[in-house]
Amino acid sequence: MTKPIVEIQGLRVSFGGTPAVKDVSFAIQPGETVCVVGESGSGKSVTSLSLMRLVEFGGGDILDGRLLLERADGPLDLATAGAATMQDIRGNEIGMIFQEPMTSLNPVFTIERQLTDGLRMHEPLSAAQARTRALDLLREVRIPEPERRLRQYPHELSGGMRQRVVIAIAMACRPRLLIADEPTTALDVTIQAEILALINRLKRETGMAVMFITHDMAVVAQIADRVVVMYQGDVVETGTAAEIFATPKAEYTRALLAAVPRLGEMRGKPAPEPLRLVGDTHDPVPLTPRDTPEPLLEVRNLTTRFPVKGGILRRTVAQVHAVEDVSFTVNKGETLSLVGESGCGKSSCGRSILRLVEPVSGSVYLGGENVLAQTKRDMRAMRRHMQMIFQDPFASLNPYMRLQAQLTEPMQNYGLDNRADRAAALFDRVGLPRSFMRRFPHELSGGQRQRIAIARALAVSPGLIVADEAVSALDVSVQAQVLNLMMELQADLGLSYLFISHDMAVVERVSHHVAVMYLGRIVEIGPRAAVFENPHHPYTQALLQAVPIADPARRKLDTDVSFKPIPSPIHPLDHRPAPSVYDTVGPGHRVIQNSDYA
Amino acid sequence: MHYIANRLLSVAFTLLLISLITFLVTNILPGDVAMVIMGTQSNPEALAGLRESLGLNDPLIAQYGRWITGILTGDWGRSLVFKEAIGPLIADKVVASALIVVMSMCIALAAAIPLGIWAAVHRDKWQDNAASTTALFGVSLPDFFWGIMLILLFARYLGWLPSSGFVHPADDFVAAVRHAFLPSLALGLGLMAHLTRMTRSTMSSILSQEFIRVARAKGLTERTVIWRYALANAIGPVMTVAGLQVGYLFGSIIVIESLFNFTGMGWLTYQALLNRDIPLIQSTVFVIAAVVMLTNLVVDLLYAAVDPRIKLP
Repeated sequence: MTKPIVEIQGLRVSFGGTPAVKDVSFAIQPGETVCVVGESGSGKSVTSLSLMRLVEFGGGDILDGRLLLERADGPLDLATAGAATMQDIRGNEIGMIFQEPMTSLNPVFTIERQLTDGLRMHEPLSAAQARTRALDLLREVRIPEPERRLRQYPHELSGGMRQRVVIAIAMACRPRLLIADEPTTALDVTIQAEILALINRLKRETGMAVMFITHDMAVVAQIADRVVVMYQGDVVETGTAAEIFATPKAEYTRALLAAVPRLGEMRGKPAPEPLRLVGDTHDPVPLTPRDTPEPLLEVRNLTTRFPVKGGILRRTVAQVHAVEDVSFTVNKGETLSLVGESGCGKSSCGRSILRLVEPVSGSVYLGGENVLAQTKRDMRAMRRHMQMIFQDPFASLNPYMRLQAQLTEPMQNYGLDNRADRAAALFDRVGLPRSFMRRFPHELSGGQRQRIAIARALAVSPGLIVADEAVSALDVSVQAQVLNLMMELQADLGLSYLFISHDMAVVERVSHHVAVMYLGRIVEIGPRAAVFENPHHPYTQALLQAVPIADPARRKLDTDVSFKPIPSPIHPLDHRPAPSVYDTVGPGHRVIQNSDYA
Repeated sequence: MHYIANRLLSVAFTLLLISLITFLVTNILPGDVAMVIMGTQSNPEALAGLRESLGLNDPLIAQYGRWITGILTGDWGRSLVFKEAIGPLIADKVVASALIVVMSMCIALAAAIPLGIWAAVHRDKWQDNAASTTALFGVSLPDFFWGIMLILLFARYLGWLPSSGFVHPADDFVAAVRHAFLPSLALGLGLMAHLTRMTRSTMSSILSQEFIRVARAKGLTERTVIWRYALANAIGPVMTVAGLQVGYLFGSIIVIESLFNFTGMGWLTYQALLNRDIPLIQSTVFVIAAVVMLTNLVVDLLYAAVDPRIKLP
């Protein structure tokens, strides 16, 4: 048996007296990918930062344990290594990449400087030699036009390209271990697929080991050789990827896996169905399909554009074509999902329907009434029937108001009576104890806050709820609970959802109908089963191909993948886009003829 | 270039507006130039004659036209108190004030940047508290208090520096700096307090960003991480605040220059106000406004030079 390259023994870390990592031990062999997986607060990032001894810059203290790094002259305990030794190891023997590509690069330095200063720190290179190496590195991570990139600044590069640069920086000195801390979490799914394939290839080609930190079981299934599952500062289970997914032993691992929606598992089911969570005593009840669909929300040719201002007089010089000729229908008691990558216009579409932004043209009918034709006063009355849930539950609750007041305020706005009783009933409805009514938002967890946000949306008994990435910021087990709650409410109250999300697996779980958006247009729309099982548009196919599946038997990253970059939605003022024209390929299943997806 | 031209145009427009406002305000106040020249006991006919000869009976708009044309052609009129042409009078005083404004800014930045960085690096530790307390102390006490203390300490007891007067830098540079030092220090202390707090908050938010972690993960030394990676990002915002403080400095020099008998723009403005020297008031206000606006234009241009994300349209 080979010696492990890194062995963590009994690591204990705390932040100002609060323990973050309690007792963590595991080893990484040369050339293997170890995924450390867990939800927020599990201590997975703290463990990786401790290994680099970066944890003390964030106020953490390594209290106990050994961090053994195998070197030519025997193992070295990084936990007690001096500052100079650590500086020598960082970026040289261990490279690290982080979550946010948008902020991982220094905005005021060129790419060249950021690539070469680490190199020249560790190796005696002239500026010209370092430059040559930097060019090689950029080619290695498959960045087009590397010579030009060297002269550019980070803001001139896209998110995916920046993450490639960060990887190039980490790879600069041929480290034996690459630590990747949630490197794809902030990226779109197609770019995530590219980056995962890249890390996989670099690992194969250089023989380095990878320690991959993530919260996403699907990513784990795609990339891991071995898995370390962490929960609240402890390791609860380790094993090979196949073992962890096929025969999870720890209760927590089983719960975690049960909460992960898997793309394709809804195949053959007629209607959305709540997830079966560990601890559920009864089987989930599928939402019964409706016999006669009755339209609630009808959107026709909706177009929303945002002005781009410029010049000294701040005149409109161009327009962002955020939503372009979009039409769809949401039936009573059903869910239509708008799915797409960042910037595709799905959120702008949701906001346009509630007139939180004013559309340029089109019509929106809610229960037969034209939303866009309402006066300001009538619009206020109309909003009672359509409410919204936002992505960040903390930012969307007023930090100075008690929870009860946050629920009664919308009732007061619409003159409803028995507000205290209604609020209490809503707390029961979303599964929060009534004792929480006197609390403030900061006293709640993320999932509890999102329940309050849902309760607030329900407070005025709307027929339609627009849920804009409503579960994206939540941990996977909490996400599953909130999704189940939303489906339960739909079944009981006959709610309709416009569900806006980037997550294909979640969308497959909750939707009756799905609309795929690309560059402001719906490129494919239809019943959930039709779109997922028989995708016609090449963009839908690309999206589905890019989504990682939480099953190590179905890996798809063995070869480099590359998706087409999304063009800019900004056009000059005189740009007159053609109307969207659709082919009908099945019952209710339509595919655009003229998208900009070439 | 286009951008600079645009900005200069808007500065010119604002200055025109300011000139109009100062002209109107000084004219609406009771008493006029003739009254100031002749005194309140003068006989009415002589007063009327003087008014006629000074053109004070013309419509206001004509008077303003004459004045602004003069400003633009270099004839700024004569000061009533100093009995001199205003143009050359102001030119000298601008040099004096520029000297202490620049010196106090240098003193403030030289102290505030290291102190702010030190506080940010040791955030929430005793060093941070020490720096914040020092800054609060500096900002709580008015400039003239520091002025008096400095005069007592350095001029009276230690005898190291002169306590009053102004020497033109063209005549004797060393003496000029020595004379300007104490007023600059008095101004700089208040300024330093603001800038320290600004540097601290900017630096601590930058130090918590991911690119700082990436820099450390590359194996760069702490010195490089803080003084290059972080400071290069902090310098823009700090500079902007420093630029805005120039306006505040021109308010403070009225007190400080008078205290140190330092004959600059502040001192001149004070004399003009004291003696109701209306033409001089109009000119000093105009000059100070112009200097403050141009400084901020320069700061904006410098910001664009240090931050590649800012593109001059």
